[in-house]
Amino acid sequence: MKQRGPNLLEREGTRSVLASMISIIIGMLVGSILILIMGLSNSSLGLSSAWDGIRLVFGGLFSTGRSASGALTWGFNSTSIGNMLFRATPLIMTGLSVAVAFKTGLFNIGAPGQYLMGTAASLIIALGIPSETVPAGLIWLLAFLGGALAGAIWGAIPGMLKAFLNINEVLACIMTNWIAANLVTWVFDGSNYRNLVENTKSAYIYKTAYNNVATPKLGLDAIFPNSQVNGGIIIAVVLAVLVYILMTKTTLGYELKACGSNRHAARYAGINDKRNIVLSMAIAGALSGIAASLYYLSGNTEFFWATYQSLPATGFNGIPVALLAVNHPIGVIFTGCFMSMLDIVGLQLTNLTAYNEYITDVIISVIVYLSAFSLVIKMMLTKRGKKGKTPTRTAGDAPAQTAEKGGESA
Amino acid sequence: MTFLIQQTLIYAIPLMIVALAGVYAERSGIINLALEGIMIFGAFVGVLFVNLTQQAGTFDAAKAAGDWVALQGFELLAMLVAAIMGAIFSLLLSFASVNLKADQTIGGTALNLMAPALVLFLIRIIANQNTLQMYTGDAASWFMIKKSLFGYGRNDEMGFLGSTFIDKVYLATYVCILLFVILSIILYKTRFGLRLRSCGENPQAADSLGINVYKMRYIGTTISGALAGMGGFVYALTTANCASTGDVAGFGFLALAVMIFGNWKPLNIAGASLLFGLFKCVAAAYSSIDINGDGVFLLAQIGISPHFYRMLPYLITLIVLAFTSKKSRAPKAEGIPYDKGQR
Amino acid sequence: MQAENIIEMLHITKEFPGIVANDDITLQLRRGEIHALLGENGAGKSTLMSVLFGLYQPEKGEIRKNGQVVKINDPNDATALGIGMVHQHFKLIDVFTVLDNIILGAETTKLGFLQKKEARKKVQALSERYGLKVDLDAKVEDITVGMQQRVEILKMLYRDNEILIFDEPTAVLTPQEIDELMDIMREFAKEGKSILFISHKLNEIMAVSDRVTVLRKGKYIGTVDTKDTDKQALSNMMVGRPVQLEVVKDPAKPGDVVLQVEDLTVPSHLHKRNAVNHVSFEARAGEILCIAGIDGNGQSELIYGLTGLEKASHGKVTLCGKDISHASIRRRGENMSHIPEDRHKHGLVLDFTLEQNLVLQKYREPRFQHNGFIDRGAVRQYAQQLIEQYDVRSGQGPVTIARSMSGGNQQKAIIAREVDRDLPLIVAVQPTRGLDVGAIEYIHSQLVAERDKGKAVLLVSLELDEVMSLSDRILVMYEGEIVGELDPKATTVQELGLYMAGAKRMGKEAERA
Repeated sequence: MKQRGPNLLEREGTRSVLASMISIIIGMLVGSILILIMGLSNSSLGLSSAWDGIRLVFGGLFSTGRSASGALTWGFNSTSIGNMLFRATPLIMTGLSVAVAFKTGLFNIGAPGQYLMGTAASLIIALGIPSETVPAGLIWLLAFLGGALAGAIWGAIPGMLKAFLNINEVLACIMTNWIAANLVTWVFDGSNYRNLVENTKSAYIYKTAYNNVATPKLGLDAIFPNSQVNGGIIIAVVLAVLVYILMTKTTLGYELKACGSNRHAARYAGINDKRNIVLSMAIAGALSGIAASLYYLSGNTEFFWATYQSLPATGFNGIPVALLAVNHPIGVIFTGCFMSMLDIVGLQLTNLTAYNEYITDVIISVIVYLSAFSLVIKMMLTKRGKKGKTPTRTAGDAPAQTAEKGGESA
Repeated sequence: MTFLIQQTLIYAIPLMIVALAGVYAERSGIINLALEGIMIFGAFVGVLFVNLTQQAGTFDAAKAAGDWVALQGFELLAMLVAAIMGAIFSLLLSFASVNLKADQTIGGTALNLMAPALVLFLIRIIANQNTLQMYTGDAASWFMIKKSLFGYGRNDEMGFLGSTFIDKVYLATYVCILLFVILSIILYKTRFGLRLRSCGENPQAADSLGINVYKMRYIGTTISGALAGMGGFVYALTTANCASTGDVAGFGFLALAVMIFGNWKPLNIAGASLLFGLFKCVAAAYSSIDINGDGVFLLAQIGISPHFYRMLPYLITLIVLAFTSKKSRAPKAEGIPYDKGQR
Repeated sequence: MQAENIIEMLHITKEFPGIVANDDITLQLRRGEIHALLGENGAGKSTLMSVLFGLYQPEKGEIRKNGQVVKINDPNDATALGIGMVHQHFKLIDVFTVLDNIILGAETTKLGFLQKKEARKKVQALSERYGLKVDLDAKVEDITVGMQQRVEILKMLYRDNEILIFDEPTAVLTPQEIDELMDIMREFAKEGKSILFISHKLNEIMAVSDRVTVLRKGKYIGTVDTKDTDKQALSNMMVGRPVQLEVVKDPAKPGDVVLQVEDLTVPSHLHKRNAVNHVSFEARAGEILCIAGIDGNGQSELIYGLTGLEKASHGKVTLCGKDISHASIRRRGENMSHIPEDRHKHGLVLDFTLEQNLVLQKYREPRFQHNGFIDRGAVRQYAQQLIEQYDVRSGQGPVTIARSMSGGNQQKAIIAREVDRDLPLIVAVQPTRGLDVGAIEYIHSQLVAERDKGKAVLLVSLELDEVMSLSDRILVMYEGEIVGELDPKATTVQELGLYMAGAKRMGKEAERA
């Protein structure tokens, strides 16, 4: 149904990409400035360490460590790039989750909770069914679906509260997030899933590889040796394409978008707006749940179960991933990779300098801040010449004319 | 009972003042989803101020001499600093919402992401760990008002009222209550309050009467930021032994829920905060609550998982919202950017 | 010696991106006169008044008061110059009391605290002097539209304004209330206040004004003395061509009952009373049945109840022989098309393209989708056909974003979509609101054509002229009830007005009047 003139699409697309690029660059600059200020104001850090930090912010993905003389070295780092793809997998999924909800006019800030519930369900299934009796591949599939289902249920709850009781979905999502955090801790506290073998670690769950369950590598480990990359990234990309098809080519996508753009008009047309709101949140929740499944079923990732005081950043970072991609499912693939690149940058900063990974969170938050009005700025560009085309001004005489002109010029 | 009331107040008062922060922003037409972030920021700034002042030794003499009045002044100063920095931090939200007509929800979310990131980044560099604490001593020894200050001995009885409201309390609690009352009166009885409320209901009408909607929204959000910043520090002071960890555990969002539950009205909010304070208190201290003073810790003995109690405030919030949402009445124009060109 | 003109707006030009809303317009207001500003929707009247009130800054031209050039940067400046305005859409705060609304922006204070006592006295005095009855302590959301307008007038008087602007003040009033308002305006003029009266209704202008300035498509057409002109001449100036003031149509040939409503009750969101209270009526094939009444007397809720947008608490609705009292919106839509009251809220998804909007109900039909996948080609073809057939104009045809279309063409698109559904009942709510004469004529002719094809048309209108000329039968709603059934050929506007005001009702309760 998306049938815009090619040059409009071009302009619209270019503008979106441009706006996102600007957000990214400003975000990184703010991070750099912060590093510079800390470096200069702190005698133990100094200018040269700040310079190292700033270079890592922009090029951390290609950092290969420090040479014997202590200088930063650069080059193709298969571990970093492979890990970037691995970490991008859940980010793409939570990004899709937030984007789908956005298209339906909902702000899914509940991705962390859905992610946690997906984690719990996946791990319980993956570790709970003995691989001696059931094929590991089947367990993997069941765990994957279980994660999706748990996320869907957790997403549907705020969806129902929104649809039937008109409770602000943001607030409901926040509450379900914290409920999930406590619930997950409660479930694992005292359970048999706790990793007691490696007793140096407390409050961790067994890796799924313990039960011989792991996502197949699909040969990606040959391309990026010494990294965690696996087939999950391919599943994520396929799902992104499926979401794209769902939103743009199907009647369901049409209904979801109609509800998102104008809930009243959708209702007027006989579309069941409440059902669609719940459905949209359930789909979003499932995508977040899958994010967790793909991450924790990789075989060698560990889950810290005593999580009642903190929420997973992967969930929240779905927001910038979706915003930067202007909620375009295909765009999410790239912005997800960008976000995970920042993750790698944070690691490199912690390993190689006196700075820490939280600087990347600052960069991310600046990007979110900028995208709050990059949308608006783009809208202003698009709507130039159609000012006043709002209901508040239909009172006046001008709008009808204004709009007429706008229509012709657009 | 004394313990229960004191613990409840410790949670209820920051909740109340931060909910009022929400009211000031929303009544002017700006949804301040960033309360959580501003609290985190305010808590950090306040604690940092205490830490640095202690390092500088400014109040060492007062501390040594037992000059508790000076120490209370120190506490108030830290609250003020947290309020000012909270107000400045909130300018990011006003700027985005008022000048750039940004999506207020996303803008607020950005601040909520920014505050913990920034705070943790700085704490790591300053303290080389994930928590910033007082430089020396603890909150109780520096700031808490105790009966000994009034000449009572260790074993002297102060009576129920005295031991509940004078012994082992923080001045911050009473300052917050006073501020809450004053700001509530301002909202309803003054020209400023009337105009502020008009901007949240119908900015077009306010504008046509010569009221500067942009200015009012800036002021509303800035007051909101100051209160939330201060509330954040008070929270850190009274519940976390004056330490900052880049986290207030969803307290800012609970305040938003209290505000909605209280229907954007101060009196209802005060009541709602006490209720939520009680739940929060139960969640935090269920194992040491001795309801009727007979040495039986009932809640701990029922055998319900502690995780359940921790979950309770959030669960109750959802349930309460579910029951009150139909009746709640938000300021009509909240969340809608006001555009002078489109009136 | 005072200048003859209290306000002069000279050569005002106001541009919006892509459009000149006011093109070199001059308006001279004499002291103590009632000066009408006439023009169609979209002619630039409100823009001009917004310039005078300081809401917009003109690109060219100047404003003079008493011969002195003045700069009006915002409403404060306008108030300082004694200019007050009753906006077409009232600028009131619903949850504030009447008194708070009147004093807002001009409060008396002591140390910042409100001093309402003096204000109350002053407002009471004004209210008595001009017979503007209001309840100062009631909340605005609880009072009638007529009283809200009195609040707006009191706001101007409270500020001691001497130049009063009334922007389309009669749209929300009954004929009797309109007469009262005109008396009040004459009273103001007699006291030396100067009045600008904005309207597109010729009767009212002829009745009350001293002079008329006419605008058309943003241009100044001319200023004439009311006593030297007549309705037809003004109408020609306003539209630029002779206008058919009456709708041409044959007598109706009512057929079978299509819609039967029995005892329908719809609760209100605003107050405890029912918005629609035990209403019964029927609509027949081949007739235009009009629901008349002042805005806010339950017409919108009645339509919501019929179309399913809101749940009725009681009663039965039968459409084409099927009981649809509890049916979903979609099921009701099988026999009923609906031209909604608010085209932006309900009628269109503004961010969708025109073609997407044109299949808003039809996208599920087998010809537009296969296995859940939308057939774009079919949609495109259908949209193009409708666009041609109904002459919907837009920048890029089917792929135009609805938001960018003009109000008239947006409405045409909705009409095209709804009429083309070809269903036995057409519900049309204020279908011509805010449109210019050309579009109004078009929509009227479409509705008459559908009637002649044997459709039942249920029309809700607030415009008395439209009610009288278009309908075959009139039901009058007052406070949620149907208080009268009238034959447009046998009744007068005055009688209709009495019903609308609740002063008269049919049946056994008639004595209550």
